[in-house]
Parts: sequence; structure tokens; C-alpha cells
Amino acid sequence: MKTNILALALSFILCLTARAELKWEQTSVELHPARGDKQAIGHFKYENAGKTPVHFKSVHASCGCTAAQSQKDQVGPGEKGEITATFNIGDRTGTQIKTVTVETDESANQKTVLTLKAIIPQELEISPTFVFWKQGEKADTKSIAVHAGKDFSVKHIKVTSSSPDFQTKVQETGEGQFKVDVQPNETNRLMASTLTIQAENSPKTFYATARITTAPTAPGAPTIQKAPAAPGGPTAPARPPAPTSQTH
Amino acid sequence: MKFSLARQALILAALSLLPGVGQAIYFRDKISWQSPIPPSEMVSVDRAREWGDGVIWIDARPDEEFARDHVPGAVSLNEDRWNELLPQFLAAWLPGKKTIVYCGAQSCDLAREVAERLRKEAQLPDVFVLEGGWEAWVKKNR
Repeated sequence: MKTNILALALSFILCLTARAELKWEQTSVELHPARGDKQAIGHFKYENAGKTPVHFKSVHASCGCTAAQSQKDQVGPGEKGEITATFNIGDRTGTQIKTVTVETDESANQKTVLTLKAIIPQELEISPTFVFWKQGEKADTKSIAVHAGKDFSVKHIKVTSSSPDFQTKVQETGEGQFKVDVQPNETNRLMASTLTIQAENSPKTFYATARITTAPTAPGAPTIQKAPAAPGGPTAPARPPAPTSQTH
Repeated sequence: MKFSLARQALILAALSLLPGVGQAIYFRDKISWQSPIPPSEMVSVDRAREWGDGVIWIDARPDEEFARDHVPGAVSLNEDRWNELLPQFLAAWLPGKKTIVYCGAQSCDLAREVAERLRKEAQLPDVFVLEGGWEAWVKKNR
């Protein structure tokens, strides 16, 4: 008897592929939520191209910010359906990539990773969002660069300090680019201010923080480690009162 | 005959390698065993313990998980409410202190993303991600 392992193996592979089951229309989607959208929803369509039913064992998102849902637990031969992935945008910015892992009882491809890419438009890019002075340090001006995000045109911005202890001045440094100078009146007291930055004709508000901190602590010295206060609590700089503001 | 069998076995072995090699090349940036965080930006629970009081802990998990339990003294900072929570963290931050961010487990991305924003947007130095996340901390401390 002449054995041909190669032929045997190939026929075995062919048998496996012949009963290939869940076929995905696409395993990755790119979403472009509009400004102000709270969620981005991706639809991953599939079809059971096999001859046996497929059961979903689990549908698991990579991040708590994404909820993934299957329309059904079982997909019969020839049936179609979709997995819906809802990504909660929250305060996220830029390109976000989240995955959903789908596990089925198929003999092959038991795990499929679906990728949801959301490109969240960012009207203003601010760097840095935090400026600080050590207590007793010279009260020099520190600058924050603000520039309009891709696809946005911003001619003016308004900067408001929640505390009159910090002065702000806005300068236009180029098309859609601004420099915000921040200066404390003094650095002898521990104080903080939330700087509210807003582009003209836009409801979206951006924030930066200015603060006078204590000097660095020596190793082993007592530390300030507090559980977060309730929003607007004693550790949080007040928001949104606006005693001082600068517009450009 | 023997030679023919060996050759066929070799061909089969080579063929079986092909999908693996192809996948490794195609998904080279997404290989699960490769951490996207450089080792210099990570810290183990033991090392964090050595730093003692010189650390500010950040819990990057969602609010409900933070409310359930967290590292003592940790500040909640997640991207769901970044604009609201960041000023609260910055009010507790001190120059010279190290910041350690953690999320649920080794596999979660939240800590890496929060750490990245703190470095890039707030330009804070000494921001680290806890190896193994909350699970690792619980294992060593409870």
C-alpha cells in the first residue's frame, strides 16, 4: 500500500476548511465621531457559512469603556448577525483603539479579535495642561501652548482663571496657534487656579491647572496622600467661577 | 520510500509553520507577549513598596471599581472623567514624588493611557505603570 502523507494531510485540511463557519464581513472598523458625540458604535457583521450552528461562548471588550453585545447566542447555518461594540468616549482624545474578543465553539478560529478604532476630533491641543511654581520660587511667567487641532480653524481663544491670584495673557503666535502666559501674583502662599480655555464659537471647554506647590519632601518625610475629594471639594481648584479672563 | 516519507514530513512541517510566521509578521506590533510599555516606565509592587511615601498612587479604573476598593490613598483618575478628576490629582501632586498608575490587571490598557497623558499633556516627570495592576497589588498586600 502506497501511503501518501501529503495527500492525506491536504485532504484533511480541505475537510476542515469546507466546514469553516463564522465569516466576518470585517474584523476592524474605523469610526470618526463628530464633535460632542458621547459614543462611537461599531458594527461587526458575520454570517455562518458552515453547516453546523455556532455558539458564542463569550464576547469580551478590552476596556471598561467599551460594551460589546451579541444579538444572539447561537447562529444557525446561513444565518447572519452582528456584534455591536459601543465605545464611551468620555474625556478621551485622539486615536483610540479598543478590541473585542469573541469566543465561539467552532473547531477552528475559536477566538476572533475585533478592532474598533475611533478617531476623536480634538478642537484644541494644549501643552502643558499643568504649570506650577514651588513655594517661594520667583513668580516668573510660564507659558502654555494652545493650537487648533487638525481640521479645526480657531481664530480666537478665551482664557479664564478661576482665581485672581493668577494672571493670564493670550498671544497669537501663528495661524491657529496661541501662547498663554500665566503668572502668579506671588508664590509665598499655596494656591491653585483652573484655567478655562475656550475657542470662539465653541461650546467645548478645555482646562489647564496652575498651582503653587510645597517644596519637594525629603525621603521618609510625611506625605500628602488624600483620597479624592468630591468634585468641587477642598482639594479641587474651584470651577467654574471666572474672576479674571483674557481673550485673543 | 523512507526518504520520500521524511521529505513529505518535512514539507508538512514547513507548511505548518507558514501561518504562524505570516501571523507573526502581519501582527508584529500586536503580539500579546510583547508589552507596549517600555520596561523603564513600569514598576513592580516590590519596587513601589521600597519607594514608600515618595509615591502618589493613581487608580485608572472606572469609578465603580475604584469605589469598591483601591490602594490606600490612591487618587481616582480615569479618562471617562479626565477633565473633572485631573485637577483633583494635580492638587495632591508634589514635585519630587513619583506617580504610579494602575488598572485592573496586566492586560488592561487604562493605566498606560493615563500615564501617557500625564507625561505628554501635563508634562509630569516620574510617571510609572504598576506591573500586574491592582491584581498584583492585592496579591502582595492582602
